[in-house]
Amino acid sequence: MDFLDALARLATLDTTNTAEVLAPRRLALSRLGQAGTALLPALFTTLVTPAEAGTTQTLTRLDALKLALKLENLQNAFYSRALGLTAGGPANPTVFFGSTAVQTAIQTIQTHQSQHSTLLTTLITNSGGALDAASRYDFSGSKNGSQAALYPDVYTNLDTFLKVAQLLEDAGVRVYKGQVTALQSDNALLEAAIRMHSTEARHAAHIRTLRRQRGAVVKSWVSPSDTAITTAGTTADGVYSGEANTLQYITSNTTVTKVPFDSTLPINVGTPALSAAAILAKVAEAFDEPLEAQAAESVLQLFTY
Amino acid sequence: MHTPFSPARLLARRSFLRVAGVTAATSALVLTGCGSDDTPTPTSTTTVISLPGDDNGVLNLAYLLEQLEAAFYQKVVDAFPTDFTAEDKAAFVDLRDHEVIHREYLKFALGNNIYDNAAPGSLVFNFSSFTLTSRAGVYAAARTLEDVGVGAYNGAAKLLSNANYLVALGKLASVEARHAAFVREQAQPGSFAAADVVGTTGLDTAKTPAEVATLLTPYLPATLDVSRLAALS
Repeated sequence: MDFLDALARLATLDTTNTAEVLAPRRLALSRLGQAGTALLPALFTTLVTPAEAGTTQTLTRLDALKLALKLENLQNAFYSRALGLTAGGPANPTVFFGSTAVQTAIQTIQTHQSQHSTLLTTLITNSGGALDAASRYDFSGSKNGSQAALYPDVYTNLDTFLKVAQLLEDAGVRVYKGQVTALQSDNALLEAAIRMHSTEARHAAHIRTLRRQRGAVVKSWVSPSDTAITTAGTTADGVYSGEANTLQYITSNTTVTKVPFDSTLPINVGTPALSAAAILAKVAEAFDEPLEAQAAESVLQLFTY
Repeated sequence: MHTPFSPARLLARRSFLRVAGVTAATSALVLTGCGSDDTPTPTSTTTVISLPGDDNGVLNLAYLLEQLEAAFYQKVVDAFPTDFTAEDKAAFVDLRDHEVIHREYLKFALGNNIYDNAAPGSLVFNFSSFTLTSRAGVYAAARTLEDVGVGAYNGAAKLLSNANYLVALGKLASVEARHAAFVREQAQPGSFAAADVVGTTGLDTAKTPAEVATLLTPYLPATLDVSRLAALS
């Protein structure tokens, strides 16, 4: 696929249906807002059922893109402050990062987040969607001083900064993964999201590598053996809630089958073999889990006021 | 369901014949026939893996990739380079375990629709293009394979019809991207998301099935025919 061609197509229409080629942007927008529900497979009816009070589920392509943009804008702001590109970060970024390797890595990541913001903005506006008002951020988590800070030294202690970075990047991977079905009806949008998704995963892995190099007990992939950076039950912990899952299911037509990682599948191939718990920990590592929109929004709200 | 795909079981049996090399088959036969009265014409010794043009084709491509990666990491774990550190060894055991788990997961999901159903895992991959006796060589090889894996998953997602499979492969794809970032960084510091994989729009690499088939050529003792998958996009 030529991605620029796809962008051009999106500029006037958000569907490949040739019968709608002449549809005005307004119609395209309404379809962007509505199509998700209609196109979801019957198996997902439980998710389409009107949400219970207090819960939401992103179902439209527009919602999915706007959630992704919200994430990317926040990440971009987080890194831009750290690098001194915008105000509010460390007094001296070079001193703060302490090494060229770390600063360059953060610069690389910030560049990608900025590019993602630009791309998502284009995808939304070219399809006729309206952008939300810009958010205000407080990466200490104090909501501009209105409550106790969660990360008071985020821009004075590199280890705290990298913890928040890990939280945001791991969240990013899960947020995109949670939106792919909403975007499945449009190949161009789906592929763009999937490719930003794996970019986020590269970022997340590298932030974890950096933390490990600085002495933290953390793997480059999400592992039950990682030292937790969040407290169970808190909003921030939503980023890791469910990641230790070892139960996977295959859904084909109307049949749902548990994947027998805990019994018959020959996955324990090491010498000596791992304990049952240890091999299931590897299963948890081998699958990243999606995050639903509401949990994603809650995490983003920690740093927004 | 979606794209029609004539008798899966029969195709799987043909795949076995091709893959196991019991009977050499021409690609013409592979592409044309599903009739049980077709007479194989052994005009070539090259075996062909022909993937169906539907979700099973995508899952089989992923299965093949995970087989390849699992075999690669097992080979490394079986004989670590002498300059591997304890941390390198632990990482490669993790990588091996993840890829074995992915392989078995996809094999389970596919059931009788795996391309090598009659003799699962019989394909012997060729890693002779890699230098596996040094840390640098091993990490460079891992980088190559992981980047192909990420590109393959990214390029194949839009070919899937079943939303459940889309989510399932997404769960694997980001773990592959984590692997890729890790091994790239070890191979070349600062390259975890370098410009050769993440372009100027911030989009990670994506490869069509045909591009993946070409990239896999050095490692496969068979020809990978993805023409029916390619027809989906």
